[in-house]
Amino acid sequence: MKQLLAALSSESLKLKRTLALWMVFIAPFIVILLQFFILYDRAKFFAGRDVWGVLMYGVTSIWAIFMLPLFITLETALLSGLEHSGQSWKHLFAQPVPRWSVYAAKLLTVMGMILVSTVVLVLGEMGAGKLLSVLRPELRFHESPNLTMMARMAIMVYLASWILLAFHTWVSMRWKSFALAAGVGVAGTFFAVFASGARIGKFYPWLFPVNAVSTSPERMKLAILLGIIGGAIIAVAGCWNVVRRDVE
Amino acid sequence: MNHTVLETVGLTRSFGGLVAVNDINLKVEAGSVFGFLGPNGAGKTTTIRMLLGLIKPDRGRVMLFGEDLSSHRLSILGRVGALVETPSLYNHLTGFENMEVTRRLLGCSKENIGNALEIVKLTDAAHRLVREYSLGMRQRLGLALALLNRPEILILDEPTNGLDPAGIREMRALIKQLPDQSGITVFLSSHLLSEVEQLASHVGIIHQGKMLFQGSLAELHAQQHERLVLGVDRPSVAAEVLTKQGWRVHQEENSRLAVDAHGQKDAASINALLVREGLEVFYLSQQQPTLEETFFKMTAEPVAGGKP
Repeated sequence: MKQLLAALSSESLKLKRTLALWMVFIAPFIVILLQFFILYDRAKFFAGRDVWGVLMYGVTSIWAIFMLPLFITLETALLSGLEHSGQSWKHLFAQPVPRWSVYAAKLLTVMGMILVSTVVLVLGEMGAGKLLSVLRPELRFHESPNLTMMARMAIMVYLASWILLAFHTWVSMRWKSFALAAGVGVAGTFFAVFASGARIGKFYPWLFPVNAVSTSPERMKLAILLGIIGGAIIAVAGCWNVVRRDVE
Repeated sequence: MNHTVLETVGLTRSFGGLVAVNDINLKVEAGSVFGFLGPNGAGKTTTIRMLLGLIKPDRGRVMLFGEDLSSHRLSILGRVGALVETPSLYNHLTGFENMEVTRRLLGCSKENIGNALEIVKLTDAAHRLVREYSLGMRQRLGLALALLNRPEILILDEPTNGLDPAGIREMRALIKQLPDQSGITVFLSSHLLSEVEQLASHVGIIHQGKMLFQGSLAELHAQQHERLVLGVDRPSVAAEVLTKQGWRVHQEENSRLAVDAHGQKDAASINALLVREGLEVFYLSQQQPTLEETFFKMTAEPVAGGKP
């Protein structure tokens, strides 16, 4: 445990001055901005509706189906890229610390970063609503939002994405190539568009985040359950695979 | 204190069908500077990676401080500092931050960073981004990282490779002072004999994965054969005469002859012999081959029995 904390502390310092760190704020902000302008631009159309609901569902669905999977791909690739480009694996794995702690620290760092993004997303939704209540009073955003609902949705999406977090951490650590990691992530997200309609869609990992806020309770529970359990299994298997390999 | 710090027993590793390291038995004594010498691709880096547990041997074992690396990896690595090939650095961090990343992992005192940076003379540049460092500075920072945990043995893989002459000189001076100043044993690999000659007290020569020689520099010198080079008017007759008397004769260019012979006494008697036979000796020179020649000779020929 002490070694894991040490490795985490070491990981956090590496984030200084990185794009990966900025992306934690930029990625949710882009999604918020998009939904903000949809509401701002078409205020007449949305006036009189459940505007907080529109904002919340709009933001969450863009985030869950599109931005989050790609964001996880990018963050894991950037973080592992620090080690690949600095040729640091040989240094890290020759230190007197268990190798699994290095792997676990990497995974937990990305998980933490995505969690922070999730919080930023919820705060952004509230901020966007407040701003719209001033700029577009006819939308009636001054009524208070259902904050519990907002947070719950974001957290469920986050939990369902653990399988992608674990998978992409493994891919990016196992292979040096940024293109490979990015390609896998983009392909996974791309096929999600087609898989969403199919019956098999509920077992497709890239759809777990969006399924986690599905109106079907069965789909929702399955996504969160498989997201967490699958994430744990891949995390352990990925760690096992990486720490036993020859270090380049 | 002449105890063995590092020892390998029958260390063997192949990649695909190629045996990169073949039955290597190293023995490095405390306080020595061991030069691990061999041409590029001889198996030096593979051996070093096995010494650090980065890759596993197919056969054989690595012993450090009398303990087996495979069963005591973490406690052993805590006493080892290493710089393998290019230093592992984060360009977007400062020199100090690079040290801090590893320090946090090790949990050692912050003082160690200052000390290590001072040894490699990077104290003034510590707060500049590594991106701006020269190649020589990067290499020195890599050395500082290796020294961070106050190791008892330092394992350096080609520490001067790719540096400019000034950088090479600086790096060599740093390495040279370590055993005296801090009592650190140094194991360094190099493909340059001159480097090993300048730095090392002991040498191991590896070629095509096999150990060709291991011992002190003095022992390596003693392995070389002194020769007497002769200029004679009728070389073929002279060679016949000498061979009959039991001397080993080699033909050289310019129709000179080289004879395996030691010292002035041999030289004088060979001269007398030739003159007695009516030959005209117009050139006679005792020659000591350089280590370079010995090394080149050793590593120019394929090693017998390269199969796994």
